[in-house]
Amino acid sequence: MTSPGSGVPAVELVSLTKEFADFVAVKELDLAIDDGHFFALLGPSGCGKTTTLRMIGGFEEPSSGIVRLHGEDVTGLKPYRRPVNTVFQSYALFPHLTIHENVAFGLRRQKIDPGEVNRRVGEVLELVQLTGRGRQRPRQLSGGQQQRVALARALVNHPRVLLLDEPLGALDLKLRKEMQIELKRIQQEVGITFIHVTHDQEEAMTMADTIAVMHGGTIERMGHPDEIYEDPRTTFVAGFLGASNLMDARVISPEQGKLVLGDGTPVWIEPSRLMNGATTVSVGVRPEKLHLSAPDSPLETPNRVPGTVTDASFTGASTQYLVDTQQIGEVAVTIQNLGDRRFRANDQVTVGWYPEHCFLVT
Amino acid sequence: MTAATVSGPAVSAASAARRRRRIPYLLLLPGMAWLLLFFFLPLAQLVVTSLEEGSLEAGFNFAWAWDNYGALFTTYRGQFLRSLVFAGIATLLSLLIGYPLAYAIAFRTGRYKPLFLVLLLMPFLVPFLLRTLAWRIILADEGLVVTTLQSIGILGSSGRVLATPMAVVAGLTYNLMPFMVLPIYVALEKMDKALLEASADLYGSPFVSFWKVTWPLSLPGVISGTLLTFIPAAGDYVEVELLGNPQSAMVGNVIESKFLNVIDYPAAAALSVGLMVVVVFLVVFYVRRVGTEELVT
Ligand SMILES: Nc1ncnc2c1ncn2[C@@H]1O[C@H](COP(=O)(O)OP(=O)(O)O)[C@@H](O)[C@H]1O
Ligand SMILES: [Mg+2]
Repeated sequence: MTSPGSGVPAVELVSLTKEFADFVAVKELDLAIDDGHFFALLGPSGCGKTTTLRMIGGFEEPSSGIVRLHGEDVTGLKPYRRPVNTVFQSYALFPHLTIHENVAFGLRRQKIDPGEVNRRVGEVLELVQLTGRGRQRPRQLSGGQQQRVALARALVNHPRVLLLDEPLGALDLKLRKEMQIELKRIQQEVGITFIHVTHDQEEAMTMADTIAVMHGGTIERMGHPDEIYEDPRTTFVAGFLGASNLMDARVISPEQGKLVLGDGTPVWIEPSRLMNGATTVSVGVRPEKLHLSAPDSPLETPNRVPGTVTDASFTGASTQYLVDTQQIGEVAVTIQNLGDRRFRANDQVTVGWYPEHCFLVT
Repeated sequence: MTAATVSGPAVSAASAARRRRRIPYLLLLPGMAWLLLFFFLPLAQLVVTSLEEGSLEAGFNFAWAWDNYGALFTTYRGQFLRSLVFAGIATLLSLLIGYPLAYAIAFRTGRYKPLFLVLLLMPFLVPFLLRTLAWRIILADEGLVVTTLQSIGILGSSGRVLATPMAVVAGLTYNLMPFMVLPIYVALEKMDKALLEASADLYGSPFVSFWKVTWPLSLPGVISGTLLTFIPAAGDYVEVELLGNPQSAMVGNVIESKFLNVIDYPAAAALSVGLMVVVVFLVVFYVRRVGTEELVT
């Protein structure tokens, strides 16, 4: 094994594949996760997140491919021989044991000295703010507390990688938000690599240093949350990470980043994003990157199309508009509430945006 | 006037609350009546009878005849101990065979699980007596089991299986096995399988996972199963009658003959009550021991 920070990835998956009887759940997945990162595996239900996590934990045997932990091939090892621990979606706390014994379970199996066990259990219960609950049983705790016991039970073993399968899925919204912050704090405090599986893009964005978006058994896009949000590269990722407006365009001048829409309206984008040499492309822009103006007060944005407001809904901090345009169909627009003029249905408007806010998807 | 309008709803609310509180007791009534009529009254009758003395011809009279109970520990001590020992062995055998069976059905049969459960319950489709009679034929001296055991030398040429204590214990084990398997199966079945993954994740080998997770969580089933096996086995007399011999008689056989052949009701009643008290003591002691073991690590 290598020490943290040596540049060897904490987890490395090489061409990992899992086939069930009649279904390929994970397809030739390649992935390297840096040590000490909070990593989120994000994707819709059924895309293979749990299966991937279970192969890292050793609960599922890959059909082919390699799993490495800190450079060491662990593909054939049983779960109890891997330096990883898991927080299960259902928590899987032992109902017949006290909280203290639940947390101590892994340490006792490793034959750690009883005094040391007590010290470490006390320490980790403090970390998850459950000091004094040691003698209770799981069923006496609330869902959020049980969740933290599950976390403590895994963390107390000082794993090098912690696997979390939708750990907040069973909590209500408010508690989930609190636990997101809590989990992030704990991860920063212990410095262990967290691999967090979720289908909630907001959760992934809030917590993770790196997000991998999974789709149909493979990773479609991976990077920092803002990087993949601003440049999702595929229609699926663009749609999964939030709303976006897509339009088809023809490339006129790759050097200048000039495109035209179907009716000849020019659209300008960052030339650097056009390097793949395609002649027709799909351009996306997020609703909050769009600007609106009345036709008589022209926008400064290089990209402009005229349209008619079909719907306006005020949500306090912002207003969500739907604008019907001839060139790109219906467009969703989000305008921050800065006290500017608000439009109503049937108002004529111009929709505008800047080249740097365009992304290309395939 | 004012007082009436205020207290009116309050009074009716209070009486409604009283009525609601009474409902659970009303619901209990049929069950309690049934127990009183068919359990406590006969039991009381049995206790009274056990303290009578006299004979069939002279009539039985109540006489605080505690001596009737002495027979359990003197004259019939052999039969009494045999009951406990046979029942104990049959229970242990049922557990040793039944636990793996329940485990396999709960964890290993996959989509064939219903089939195995039906197979387990299949013997109940044939009356108890018929099944035991069938064992008489199977274990008979010229039967396949005996001749096979003789030919491979486990049994001497004059050796028998029928009419031995072994046949009695085997019969008890066979007949009571489903009562052991079913509660254990239910306990295992409702166990969250993710617990075993959690144990494996926390460095528990399969063996350790079984002892630290599966076994303690199945203990309620084991307790029910052993009680459902031991209690009927301790009072049984049919197995001895069909598969045993006079030397393997259990206390149930003594009670049966006192009631039906010798017509000594007080002695029969005293043996029954005595057996019951001893079994209840054993059960309470056992449940305490095992039940608290489940609560510690
Ligand atoms: N044991 C299994 N047998 C057959 N198919 C499975 C099994 N486990 C998962 N699958 C299938 O594999 C796909 C991916 O499952 P999973 O990894 O649980 O997805 P996710 O966690 O992203 O929702 C699903 O379509 C699921 O039905
Ligand atoms: Mg899942």
